[in-house]
Amino acid sequence: MTDLAGIGSVLGAWYDFRDLNNLQRLITEWIADWGPDWLASIITGVLGALGILGVIGPTLLILIWVERKVIARFQQRYGPNRVGPKGLLQPVADAVKLILKEQLAPRAADKLIFFLPPVLVFIPGILIWGVLPFGPRMSVADLNVGVLFLLAVSGTAVLVLFMAGWASNNKYALFGAMRAVAMSISYEVPMVLALLTLVVFSGTMSINGIVQWQQQEDVIFILLFPLSAIAFFFAASAELNRTPADISEAESEIVAGYHTEYSGMRFGLFYAVELGNTLVVSAFIATFFLGGWWLWGLDQWVPSWVILLAKTGAVYFLLIWTRGTLPRLRVDQLMGFCWKALVPATLLFVVVAFVERTLLISEGWDTTVALPIMAVFNIALSLGAVMLFARVARPAPLRRPARIRMAGSDIGGLNAAREVAARREEPQLQVGGD
Amino acid sequence: MSDFGFHLAFWSLAAMTIGGASMIVVSRNLIHAVIWLVLSMLGIAGLYLTLSAEFIAVVQVLIYVGAISVLMLFAIMLTPRAERDNSQHIKTAGPAGVVVIMVMIATMWVAIDTDWGAVREAALTEQARLIGESLIKHYILPFEIGAVLLTAALVGAIALARQDDEDAAVHAASLQAELDDDGSVDPVDVVDPPLPTDGEAST
Amino acid sequence: MIIGLEHYLVLGALLFCIGFFIALSKKNAVGVLIGVELMLNAVNLTLVAFSRFGTAEVALSTQVFVVFIIAVAAAEVAVGLALALVVYRNRQTISVDRTTLLKG
Repeated sequence: MTDLAGIGSVLGAWYDFRDLNNLQRLITEWIADWGPDWLASIITGVLGALGILGVIGPTLLILIWVERKVIARFQQRYGPNRVGPKGLLQPVADAVKLILKEQLAPRAADKLIFFLPPVLVFIPGILIWGVLPFGPRMSVADLNVGVLFLLAVSGTAVLVLFMAGWASNNKYALFGAMRAVAMSISYEVPMVLALLTLVVFSGTMSINGIVQWQQQEDVIFILLFPLSAIAFFFAASAELNRTPADISEAESEIVAGYHTEYSGMRFGLFYAVELGNTLVVSAFIATFFLGGWWLWGLDQWVPSWVILLAKTGAVYFLLIWTRGTLPRLRVDQLMGFCWKALVPATLLFVVVAFVERTLLISEGWDTTVALPIMAVFNIALSLGAVMLFARVARPAPLRRPARIRMAGSDIGGLNAAREVAARREEPQLQVGGD
Repeated sequence: MSDFGFHLAFWSLAAMTIGGASMIVVSRNLIHAVIWLVLSMLGIAGLYLTLSAEFIAVVQVLIYVGAISVLMLFAIMLTPRAERDNSQHIKTAGPAGVVVIMVMIATMWVAIDTDWGAVREAALTEQARLIGESLIKHYILPFEIGAVLLTAALVGAIALARQDDEDAAVHAASLQAELDDDGSVDPVDVVDPPLPTDGEAST
Repeated sequence: MIIGLEHYLVLGALLFCIGFFIALSKKNAVGVLIGVELMLNAVNLTLVAFSRFGTAEVALSTQVFVVFIIAVAAAEVAVGLALALVVYRNRQTISVDRTTLLKG
């Protein structure tokens, strides 16, 4: 990694807000004067966490309003417009309502495991912010296994959802939990493969290292690996249980999924974490594929975290867009899309990344010439792969299921009504207008 | 390795690990046992961090907490509630305890009594890169064998757990027989009882 | 008191024994599998402790060994749970002392 002492911290003083890391370093040095060094790391860690919470909490309240307004516009409605100017205070009113509501617990629930999930779900939700680089030296923890850490932490969230669904002792909650687990295990595979492409190509597992690679080579990864970026976007939005893929809380099928039995603020906590995860996922998409805090030299003039937040906002809008536009998919469609489309596509680009990395390193190709050629080649390959998928692996047209699984062959429907009527030797039931 | 923060980390993580493991012995519910196992695994991941092995720690969380425990919970969910009992075997618990105590005395004695030699102060840095390089240079054969093993396990697990349509019919029939026996339906086990056929309905 | 190699070794031994007891005494097949996982983790902990406190050439090879153990443990769990499912399907139980077809 290169020495970046000069970038983004021109003054190096605590009031230089282009790099908040200066403030952190000042506190560390001040504590080191009189205290042990473990105290310094604990205090800066707690301050970092509080800072993140203090910024994210109010942002979430605004984002709820933004999301509802934008979706309303997509669906030609007004959205919230009663509480406060232009409905701005609606999220506050909702939060107050959720806090005041009674907390119910089913009598047959597994008490301990039922109470834990709303709290536990916060832990991965907050830990994941720790490795997000807001600037060249601005992340709470710049791990050299950052990408793996990200995957590990997001993987633990599944367990919490499962605990919530199981402890509720409710059929629908369990359905939701099983769907959530099955889906996030499946979609973790293309996510890992898409990130593996970047790790192979940039040769580092540090998240900040990936951003710095993009900065050094003057290229953003979405140009080099567009299909991986799209696959990551889909996989991440599926992991978030948002509308195109929200089978785990599909309200028209299974009430509310794993949080059916959670009322009041317990539900509020699930909701807040889900929203916060949406934000952090858009931040990570911006970091991995759009260059993060870097934007062709603009980071010399504008604070790097402002650039990151702008990119995050753009990705977040795209997530709202997909949510407002696409209808909910069925379970088999989602699974099929993951295993038949996303996994082969990302796997193809892992191989491509291996080959191109070898050309750059072992054959010593000049990056300024080779990278544009590779970008053009990869974009063409991505288009070809998508067109091939559209032609060959097109989902089969809808047909009647071969065997009705949930019920006997003639239960329900017109035939059953006619048969029942015939069996009772009553006059034939007249259905229809003939 | 002697300051207060390190001591705090080590002892709390050790308590978490051993406490979680002991609760597995005590808990009667299999799902609780798996959740205690997760706690224990997280403690071990933390202990890896105190040994400055970040790569192994993250892999531990990724594999054990994210994958293996979920797999176990899935397997438990696929069996009915009567099979979620995690109690001890009355007959073998006594002899097992004796054997375990003997093993414990032996391992502890070896661990404490042996002179383990030099203590190195510097930890391994850049472990991910080093481990990766040695995997494909020095340990290439074990690496390939591991890959084959994982593939074989994948195929084997799918082949074992696959349920043919005939088996499914037999399974449904046996579940129906169980339901007839005690007449009670477990609210969590989502098993749709086979609906009566036309012949039955007409009689 | 300085926390050194012995602390980790004793902890690993303790964990191994708890896992051993669980594997020997539990009735349920999944319970036995949990015990085996604990034993494997105890071994991993011991190996990583040796990696931290041992000589330089030991440091890397122990960690590689741990990676292999984790991979094998994952394979073992997958196959073990599939076996438990099949046993349940055929015998309607996963209790290890009621699957005694070969007892004669």
